[in-house]
Amino acid sequence: MSGRIANTESRGVRWLLCGIAFIFLFLFLVLPLAAVFSEALAKGWGAYLEALKEPDTLKAAQLTILIAMAVLPLNIAFGVATAWAIAKFDFRGKSLLTTLIDLPFAVSPVVAGLLFILIFGAQGWFGPWLAARDIKIIFAVPGMVIATLFITVPYIARELIPLMQAQGREEEEAAVSLGASGFQMFWRVTLPNIKWGLLYGVILANARAMGEFGAVSVVSGHIRGETNTLPLHVEILYNEYNAIGAFAAASILALLALVTLVAKTFVEWRMRRETEVLLAALPPERNAGGATPRINGNQT
Amino acid sequence: MSIGIRNIGKRFGSFVALDNISLEIPTGELVALLGPSGCGKTTLLRIIAGMEVADAGQITLSGEEATHLHTRERQVGFVFQHYALFRHMTVFENVAFGLRVKPRGERPSEAKIREKVMDLLKLVQLDWLAERYPSQLSGGQRQRIALARALAVEPRVLLLDEPFGALDTQVRKELRRWLRRLHDEMHISSVFVTHDQEEALEVADRVVVMNQGRIEQVGSPDEVYSNPATPFVYQFLGNVNVFHSRLHGPWAEVARESSSQATAFVRPHDIEILRESVTGAIAAEVAHVQAIGPAVRVELTHQSEVIEVELSRERHQQLGLANGDAVWLLPKSVTVFDAAGSEPRRWVPDWVI
Repeated sequence: MSGRIANTESRGVRWLLCGIAFIFLFLFLVLPLAAVFSEALAKGWGAYLEALKEPDTLKAAQLTILIAMAVLPLNIAFGVATAWAIAKFDFRGKSLLTTLIDLPFAVSPVVAGLLFILIFGAQGWFGPWLAARDIKIIFAVPGMVIATLFITVPYIARELIPLMQAQGREEEEAAVSLGASGFQMFWRVTLPNIKWGLLYGVILANARAMGEFGAVSVVSGHIRGETNTLPLHVEILYNEYNAIGAFAAASILALLALVTLVAKTFVEWRMRRETEVLLAALPPERNAGGATPRINGNQT
Repeated sequence: MSIGIRNIGKRFGSFVALDNISLEIPTGELVALLGPSGCGKTTLLRIIAGMEVADAGQITLSGEEATHLHTRERQVGFVFQHYALFRHMTVFENVAFGLRVKPRGERPSEAKIREKVMDLLKLVQLDWLAERYPSQLSGGQRQRIALARALAVEPRVLLLDEPFGALDTQVRKELRRWLRRLHDEMHISSVFVTHDQEEALEVADRVVVMNQGRIEQVGSPDEVYSNPATPFVYQFLGNVNVFHSRLHGPWAEVARESSSQATAFVRPHDIEILRESVTGAIAAEVAHVQAIGPAVRVELTHQSEVIEVELSRERHQQLGLANGDAVWLLPKSVTVFDAAGSEPRRWVPDWVI
C-alpha cells in the first residue's frame, strides 16, 4: 500500500474497524467451532466415531434429514408461488401478504411451537378430532415438520421476490406471445432465470431446517430414537454429561454449517457472475453489410 | 390481417388511459401510434396483443371477434422496447423458441427448425451471432434478434412498443429504414408505438396521433404534418409559434377574421424576416442566432414575447443578422383555430402569392 488514498479513512481507523470485525468473528464463530471439534475429538478418533455410531444419534441424524427433505419441496412450491404472485401480479392484499411472509422472522420459535400445540395438541382446537381418528401430530414427526415449515417459510420467497421484481414480466409476456403455454413459460423462461436465487434460498432454508431447535423442541416431546433431531439430541446428551457424544453430534451440525457456507459462497459467486455478464460493456455493433449501412462510415 | 378497434376504453384506478378509441387498421399497413408519454398508446398496443384487457369495447382481428382471446392464440408478434430476449438462451435458441413450444403435432423437425432460424437470422443479418448470448450483443443487434424471434412464428400482425426507444440516434435511424424495408418484404400488418414524431413521419404509412387517451388525428405523415386537425397535433409535430388574437398587432388580423378567441399557429420556417417595414409586418428584435446543421434558428422578441424563426443558411447570409438588430416579420402561412372543436382554417397572406 502506498500511503493514503483520497477519501478513505486514515490507516488507524481502518485497522481499528477491521480489527474489531476480526476479533468478534474469532471469539464468537471460529473459537466455538474449534471447541466443538476439539471436544468431540478429546478422546481420540475412536471414541468420536463410536459416539457417532450410537443408534440414537444415527436415528436423530436420519430424522433431521427426513424433516429437511419433507420441508424443502413444500417451501420451494410456496416460495415460488408467493414470489410469483407478489412480483408479477397486482392484487388486493399484496402488501399484507408481503408482511405476513416475514412473520416467522418476527415470532420467537418457541412461541411458534406453542402455537401448533394450541392448534393440534390434545387440548387444542383440532386435538379431539385428531385423537378420534388416531392421527398424531404433536409429539410426532408431522408436528415437527409443520413447525420447521413455519420457521423456514420466508427464506425462499424473500430471496425470489426482489429477483423476480427486477426481472419484470416482459420475458414471460414475450414467451406467451410466441405461443408458449403457462407451463412452458414457467419451465423454459421463468425457472432458468431464477434458478440461482432459488438455490440460494433452498440452501438457507435447509440450513435453518436442520438447525432449528426452539419450535421443534416444543412439539417433539423428546422421545429418544423417535422424535429427536440432531439439535435436540445434542442437548439431551450434554445434559447427561456425555460430552463426547454431544460434541460429536454437534460436529455433524457444524460440518453442515461449513458445507452450507461453501455452497452459499459458490451460488453467490455464480449469481454475481451472471449479473456481471448482463451488465458487461457491449461490443460495438459490427457492420452487418447491406441491410444497415453506416452513414458515417468514414469516421475512424 | 386487418385490426378493428371499436370503442375501447381502459382505466387504471381513476386515471383514464383510453377514452372510447375506435380505429381501423387495414391489412398490410405500417401504422404509427404517436403521442407523448402517458397518452395511452402503449396501453392500446397491449390491448391489441391481449396483454391488457380493455374495460369496454371490442377488438377484431381479420374481422373476427378477438376481445377475449388469449395472447397465445392471437398470432401476434410483439417487440418490446427493452427487447425482452430470454437472457439464458443463445440467440439461436431465442429465435427457435416459438417453434419449439408448438404442440407436438405442429412442431417442425429439428432440421426444419435449424433451417428456419438460420434463414431468419440471415434476414436480420445477424447469422454470425447465433451462438452468442443476448448480453453479448449491442442494443441494435438485440432488437433485430427480438424481431427475428417474433417473426419465427409467422405472426399475422407485428406489434412494436417503442422498438427503437432505447437505442442511439444513429442506430435508430438505420433500424427505422430497415424496419420499413422488412415490413414491405413480409406483407404483414404492423403497428408501432413511438413518441418520436420524426420516426413516425419517416416510417409509417399512416400516423395515429394520440393525446390523453383520445385520438387527435389519423392521416398520412404528410397530412398530419401539413394539415394538423387540432392545436395539439400542431404543437406536437414540429416547432410552432402560437399567437393569440388580441396581442400581435397586424398579425392578429389573421385571427380576428374569425372570432376574438381564435389562436394562430405559425411554423418557424413559415416566417420571413425583413430588414424594412412593409404593411402587415410586426417589429421584432433579434435576441439570439444559432446555426443548427443546415438551418439557422433565430430567436426574436416582440413585445417581450419570444418568436422562433428558422432560415436557410443562404437567407441568413443575405440578411447578416446580429443580436439586437431591429427587423420586421411576415408570416408565409398561418393556421387559425377558432374556439375548441371547430375546423382549422389555413390562411396564406396575399403577399406570398
